Amino acid sequence: MTHIAKKTVDSSRIREILDGKKARMKTCLQACAACSLCADSCFMFNGKDGDPQYMPSYKVIKTLGRLYRKRGNVSRAELERMQQLLWRNCVLCGRCYCPFGIDIPNMIAFARGILRSQGIYGVFPHTSGSTEAELQ
Amino acid sequence: MYDLLRGPVFWVSAAVCVCGLIFRTIQMFRLTRAKIIPECRLSPARNTPARQVSDEERRLDMVARFRNSVIWRHPVVVAVSAVFHVCLFAAPILLVAHNMMIAQAGWVALPSVPDWFADLMTIAVLVCAVFLLVRRIALPKVAAISSPVDYCVLLLAVMPFLTGFLAYHQLFDYKTVITLHALAGDLLLIALPFTKVGHMVFFFFSRLTMAGEFCMGRGRRTWAA
Repeated sequence: MTHIAKKTVDSSRIREILDGKKARMKTCLQACAACSLCADSCFMFNGKDGDPQYMPSYKVIKTLGRLYRKRGNVSRAELERMQQLLWRNCVLCGRCYCPFGIDIPNMIAFARGILRSQGIYGVFPHTSGSTEAELQ
Repeated sequence: MYDLLRGPVFWVSAAVCVCGLIFRTIQMFRLTRAKIIPECRLSPARNTPARQVSDEERRLDMVARFRNSVIWRHPVVVAVSAVFHVCLFAAPILLVAHNMMIAQAGWVALPSVPDWFADLMTIAVLVCAVFLLVRRIALPKVAAISSPVDYCVLLLAVMPFLTGFLAYHQLFDYKTVITLHALAGDLLLIALPFTKVGHMVFFFFSRLTMAGEFCMGRGRRTWAA
């Protein structure tokens, strides 16, 4: 389901992109108190019976947070798992609410950009929020 | 050891805390810029008087807004968080024992609350902390995003209160407990600007100054890049 142009991961390119917004993104990640109050603002979280994987904060922490923590040294498989969170689990509708005012959609968009730099994109069935099994 | 922790180490910690908070605030300003808000002018043809909004419509709008708010959806979490944070700040500042030490050091004597009230605030912090901890462990959506750091931050915030409570009631070995209390307080002060506890700076800056739908202030700033 993924358009894979490159099979390897260019960690230095990921690091370069991460460093471009390091101060801002790290400030936002650090401001997250992991309170989970953003969950209810996501229609996908509500539509999936409260599956934590659809929580806005979960999507950010497990993708962008992980990329910063590992300084871009991630495997291709990890990036593909992130693809699920960033495209299948999020339609980037921009309705996330954070009590601390963290701009979650912006962080998800930034993380998507990093994945695109590695040739990983979202494709239509995933953006509809359905898994492959559900579509068949 | 205790004298060292409540003396020079405390002043260094307090200085690190104040300087760190100033640094974080300046950093937030540097990461953002003033937002240029375009002046909106309607064409003369469309510039008709606004439709009168009835009181009933206004009331319904307020009800809808409130029902969509976090306060309505999670009243217990909001109430517990509010009590936790208010007591977390008020208890150490308004405690007689702390203010006496500040006065003895030649600083201004701050207003204090009776000991029983400070004790009540300490118990409130401890009870709220237990609630937040149980919520973090038991609720799958909170557990899913919790890292060891989140537990450490909670422990860091609670330790000065737990040790203070034990010291005030003379439980366990007083000297050890009071030394731990001073150490926990100093650690919290140092950690405040540089760890997740720093969400206190981010909260006020973001919710009061950053432009956006949920801005509670003027919202005249936006991210620089």
